[in-house]
Amino acid sequence: MPPLRELQQRFASRLLQTDPASVLDWICSDGISALARVEIYRNNLHAGFSKTLELEFPVIRRLVGPDYFRQLTLAFLARHPSRSGDLHHVGAPFPGFLQQQLANTEYSYLADVARFEWAYQECLVAEDAECLNPQTLRDIPMDAYPNLRFTIRPACRLVDSPFPILRIWQANQSDAEVPDLIDLTTGPDHLVLMRTPAGFNLSRVPAGDFQLLTAFAAGQTLERALEAALGRDAQFDFGAALRRCIGLGVLGYTTFN
Amino acid sequence: MPKRAALAGIGLRAQHHTEILSRLPPVGWFEAHSENYFAASGTHRAQLLQIRRQYPIGLHGVGLSLGSTDPLNREHLLALRRLVRIVEPVFVSEHLSWGSIDGTYLNDLLPLPYTEEALGHMSARVREVQDFLGRQVLIENISSYLRYRCAEVPEWEFLSALVHESGCGLLLDVNNVFVNAMNHGFDAHTFLHGIPASAVQEIHLAGHTVMQLDGRDIRIDTHSTHVSPEVWRLYAAALSRFGALPTLIEWDAELPELSVLEAEAERATSILESSRAAAA
Repeated sequence: MPPLRELQQRFASRLLQTDPASVLDWICSDGISALARVEIYRNNLHAGFSKTLELEFPVIRRLVGPDYFRQLTLAFLARHPSRSGDLHHVGAPFPGFLQQQLANTEYSYLADVARFEWAYQECLVAEDAECLNPQTLRDIPMDAYPNLRFTIRPACRLVDSPFPILRIWQANQSDAEVPDLIDLTTGPDHLVLMRTPAGFNLSRVPAGDFQLLTAFAAGQTLERALEAALGRDAQFDFGAALRRCIGLGVLGYTTFN
Repeated sequence: MPKRAALAGIGLRAQHHTEILSRLPPVGWFEAHSENYFAASGTHRAQLLQIRRQYPIGLHGVGLSLGSTDPLNREHLLALRRLVRIVEPVFVSEHLSWGSIDGTYLNDLLPLPYTEEALGHMSARVREVQDFLGRQVLIENISSYLRYRCAEVPEWEFLSALVHESGCGLLLDVNNVFVNAMNHGFDAHTFLHGIPASAVQEIHLAGHTVMQLDGRDIRIDTHSTHVSPEVWRLYAAALSRFGALPTLIEWDAELPELSVLEAEAERATSILESSRAAAA
């Protein structure tokens, strides 16, 4: 009798085809072969995995077509099998996988669209948090400003791309009208995604604002974040950028010490 | 949920959240897949808590991989415990199955070999989860498409021994009993009479499909269609053995309008009422 652990290892290897060691000898072939029986589970695995990614990356599926999408998901499964009993995590490495697969091809923009779709998924389940009350900034002494750290609210993601990914995403929503051809050279896009109680906000922001927010998200001080923003845009106007960011409701709280 | 108020409920799916909250359909309760609400926040989680204010909720897990020989996934258990504390569900249930090994998840309900070793392992795991959550867990029988040569006892004997050794309750999936009876050639009533009546606390009903393999029929638990006539009949037989128990309609793939699920739940309600009348 096979030990339970070995049986499970061989069964999983058979489903993932990572090991020739076979579980088939341990399975009854009454009427239907052991092979055909195990195939049911392999098909379930493939179908469940593809379905999950289909729900998380509907625009990618629409762009590449259902057949190629399924091929992509199976290649992805072989490289990145699930590491959680909660299927909501399986899509996390998919944008990076697409980037590797499509690097230096005319389809490399798909990886950026996938990053946008995953950011959207993350926003859906992120924590709610209060947005920054601008009044609190008045209580901060001027000399503390260089060391000020702004946070980005949890249900907010920053995505940028050399391609016009927001237009691509919008044109491929299920309720979208059939779009004109989108010129891939009409990027770049610097995008802020945010879930609010009222729904999703998708905003294009200036490159300097995006750089500032990216630095805030990385936990950098205002001084460092400003350097980064000025590095991107020599005309960067912090006051105006801060007003825009507060207007978008992107900022969480601030700390200084 | 007290047995005297046994009602029919519907599996809660995110596509129906908004309609449920706006219309408050006349169903007895809802059952949520625990993993769908593990996220700390978000729209779906908030809606679940709103629905919780109007209806009893059961939490049904699909990803704990109870029968796996890997250590129990601590992160998963912690997420489940957090959710249980917030939702205060009427039931917490999982499956007699495994779904992961060496840290890789197949995200499916895979059958265990019904051996002494598997029983000892599964019992210890169920006890561990019950201790961790501080409450009893219901274990559900699964549909299976294969049997292992090393099996020592039939499924119902394994379940009975599991109840005895772990103190768990049973979630009886009548569709899975029927599917397995057809797939593996046993009498579904033998199954019903082979499990301890006092342990069964909840019933699941779902639709399955029939496919052909090697020229033979095999039934697949797809949760994609109406409960079959044979399963409705077996449900009535189950109620006459176990009494009127909270019953849940499950539908996952090709999810229809909420009203279709309500109609299935209504049908279960009328069978529950007949069973109560017959017992009175």
